[in-house]
Amino acid sequence: MQQQITKEEVMAVYPTVAKILADALGCDVERVKLDASLIEDLDAESIDFLDLVFRLERAFKVKIPRGKIVEDARGELAESDFEQQGVLTDVGLKRLREFLSEVPAERFRSPMKAADIPRLFTPETFCKVVIRAQRAAPAGT
Amino acid sequence: MGGRFCAFSFVDRITGLDAGAGARGRFLIPAHLPRFPSPLVCEAVGQLAAWVAMAKLDFRRRPVAGLAGEIEFLQDANPGQVLNLEVNVESCDEDAIAYEGCAHVNGTPVIKLSRIVGPVLPMTDFDSPAAVRNDFETLVGEGAAGARLESLPELDLTPLERVPGKSLRAGLRIPADAPFFSDHFPLRPVFPGTLLLEAEMRLACDLAADALGGPPGASVTVIRTQDSKIRSFIDPGQTVEIRVVIAQPQGDEAMATIVALLNGKSVATGRMAVGLRKGP
Repeated sequence: MQQQITKEEVMAVYPTVAKILADALGCDVERVKLDASLIEDLDAESIDFLDLVFRLERAFKVKIPRGKIVEDARGELAESDFEQQGVLTDVGLKRLREFLSEVPAERFRSPMKAADIPRLFTPETFCKVVIRAQRAAPAGT
Repeated sequence: MGGRFCAFSFVDRITGLDAGAGARGRFLIPAHLPRFPSPLVCEAVGQLAAWVAMAKLDFRRRPVAGLAGEIEFLQDANPGQVLNLEVNVESCDEDAIAYEGCAHVNGTPVIKLSRIVGPVLPMTDFDSPAAVRNDFETLVGEGAAGARLESLPELDLTPLERVPGKSLRAGLRIPADAPFFSDHFPLRPVFPGTLLLEAEMRLACDLAADALGGPPGASVTVIRTQDSKIRSFIDPGQTVEIRVVIAQPQGDEAMATIVALLNGKSVATGRMAVGLRKGP
């Protein structure tokens, strides 16, 4: 079981994450609200997520494997228990809701395609990605 | 001669391959061309990296243009010269490639690319895996025929608005049909990101000329680009609006911020440092 991430931890990295997001998306940092949908509200494209991950890695000196959010959301569930034919199972959707607890409940759809998971991502999602990567980094790095 | 493997192909031969990790290659700039724009040197380096990625992924997937953290333009490359290309791949998987690269002419560096990232997509969306594999075998074997590129793509730029030394807007009309589309890519024509970069560089230099001044006859050039990003594909027949805003010059350089819009939506962004051309 992963250790819970506190709001204080999120707010500690949020200013840097927000600035990086604004730079990556070419928008004003004031538009980057903690619970904004990166795709729906900030017009992020898939390339922006790649860009964002590389920028976060450089800024926080951490390693963030691509696909890490979905991989962590799935946890120890087998892939076939998480999704089938590109659609999340009931168990997979429940797991995703728990993992992306920062995302307002009404944004989850049922049924939900796995390909639509990035539509849920918010700036706070990436704050948590950074915090998990910092925790996972060996001490002293 | 068909367009495939000719009209927008900038590697003649792969001279060294470290599977999945890097490569060296060469491209003879056809002597019959009137000039060779620097973004096409970037294209040559990028295509060499793409060959490394495609071979590693067994031609099931291919990279496309995405992000260029920094490109340094060090010197022009001219028709009749041989570009010696080199790429070092930092990572390459089913989703993305990250690499750096450079091109030299006669031992002198002409371009250096750092922090390049390209999304990796299914090959069958763009081309026949068997045909691409065959082209790769040619490149690592005896090499492709030289001077396959018959002519340079034309850019159809129309000025829309200009505030001298500060900003401009221009329309870039993408042709509905052009030879390079049959090579980029055979099954899914896409306007090459490096041609968009060339259009952006021309506009930035044009605007910066007002801001930088300089002695009579001085020309301006792009010194480096930073954080160039292609956010979505541009299709044949579309018209892109390019907006350039230039900051107050610092010394003999000025920084231009660029955004390219398609139907009001940003499809490419970036910054470039523009300065007075030094030397002959």
